[in-house]
Amino acid sequence: MAEPTDAPVRLVDVHKRFGTLTVLDGVSLDIPRGQTTAIIGPSGTGKSVLLKHIVGLIKPDAGEVSVFGTNMATAPEREVYAVRKRLGMLFQDGALFDSFSTGENIEFPLKQHHAEMSAEQRRARVEEVLAMVELPGLYDRPTPALSGGQRKRVGLARAIVTGPELVLFDEPNSGLDPMTSDAIDALIGHLKETLGITFVVITHDIVGTINVADHIAMLYGGKLVAWGTCAEVTHSEHPIVRRFLGRNLILPAPHDPASARLPSI
Amino acid sequence: MSALAWVGGLAYFAWDWFKVAVTRRPPAGQTLVEAYRIGVQSLPVLLTISVFVGTNLALQGYNAFVPLGGQRLVGMFVAMAGVRELAPLIAAAMIAAKAGTEMASQIAVMRTREQIDALEVMAVNPYWYLVTPRLYAILAVMPALSLIAVFVTVCASYCVAVYQLGLNGPTFLEYARTSTHLRDILTGELKALVFAVIICFVSCYCGFRSEKGPEGVGKATNQAVVLSCILCVSFNYLVSQVLYG
Repeated sequence: MAEPTDAPVRLVDVHKRFGTLTVLDGVSLDIPRGQTTAIIGPSGTGKSVLLKHIVGLIKPDAGEVSVFGTNMATAPEREVYAVRKRLGMLFQDGALFDSFSTGENIEFPLKQHHAEMSAEQRRARVEEVLAMVELPGLYDRPTPALSGGQRKRVGLARAIVTGPELVLFDEPNSGLDPMTSDAIDALIGHLKETLGITFVVITHDIVGTINVADHIAMLYGGKLVAWGTCAEVTHSEHPIVRRFLGRNLILPAPHDPASARLPSI
Repeated sequence: MSALAWVGGLAYFAWDWFKVAVTRRPPAGQTLVEAYRIGVQSLPVLLTISVFVGTNLALQGYNAFVPLGGQRLVGMFVAMAGVRELAPLIAAAMIAAKAGTEMASQIAVMRTREQIDALEVMAVNPYWYLVTPRLYAILAVMPALSLIAVFVTVCASYCVAVYQLGLNGPTFLEYARTSTHLRDILTGELKALVFAVIICFVSCYCGFRSEKGPEGVGKATNQAVVLSCILCVSFNYLVSQVLYG
């Protein structure tokens, strides 16, 4: 049993194998409350698997994954669902329901868990988060008509609509052009400042990571090879960290969310 | 061995659904949408197939009875074969082909696009949200579809028997009526309910356990229709054996 901690997410010696392939090999990590933690690493190092452990979609072979003090592997389903109501997640492709409109997608968690809200209140809240992700007035837009960047924003709006304490991002920049990718990073940075909640970002985009993260954890071969603040990790002498950061170490200009935002089309 | 594991997995899936379904009301709006999709949208194909099953029954019955001088019995033959066996089974096969494949492919695509994971993360049980409305909808519409299939089959047989083969209409109807008992109709309805449960659970299960990607979706869809039909035909024999054997 892990020691009590303020960290909303705590991983203690987590091991996971798929057949003969070891995906996580003794990962221990505390995600600090109210800050943004980026989990980086090359493709296939277990980043997404780690994220799925946090939300309880995958159970570890050994070790403990604790979210808000609940062990996600051993807790009864009702407790796991209670934890999930306190978090939001942006999936790689948004995981939006194509048969719903944009607004209905965002409204979905409210309809499921906030029966006390009237239709007008739900609509107002959806319009509010649509404005937060810079897509005002898109409530009625059919989901298939959204671009890749818009899908990410709508997925993000759905993740934050219930006012979660923890938001997880699975590769928020994947499949986006550099400009849209920068705009998404800027949006994450802006939400981090305005919402003040805990963010966990899974990515292999180191430039974007430095823009938004307070802490960086690097996974390699299923192991946590680096952990610390952005400055500590980017200046790490660990050979794998140096090799991964490599050509990405031409650091971007100081972050200015306003300049990274794309004008509306 | 793998077939046994598959059946075990299906039973476990049904049990998992049952545990969550008894604790929550079904999503009403979704159930109506599914009922429309399964019931109304499957109707054209069901009517078409039922018409041609009826025409063939009359034709083959006539050809079989003419050498024996018993063409009057075509009405009885149509009633027994159509009402008791063929119409409910054809209705089930059509629903498996139309609605069952839709269920399997929709769920498989949702799995591929991480939408089922998204439901889980949003603290919505995917079995409750995806299986419950489909099951309640198919249970509501399947008996009606089976009755419609019976009616259309007999009507189509009547048309061929009377207008093409020149049989006496009142005689056809009298033989059909006296050979059809309330029990036969109720048996057809019971079969329809059993088929509904089979088609829904098999199709949803194939969707949920599909591999990710287009190939996985294709396999799941294919498995859903093939296994639903095999299980429906097997259970049809079982029910007939118990009730008529």
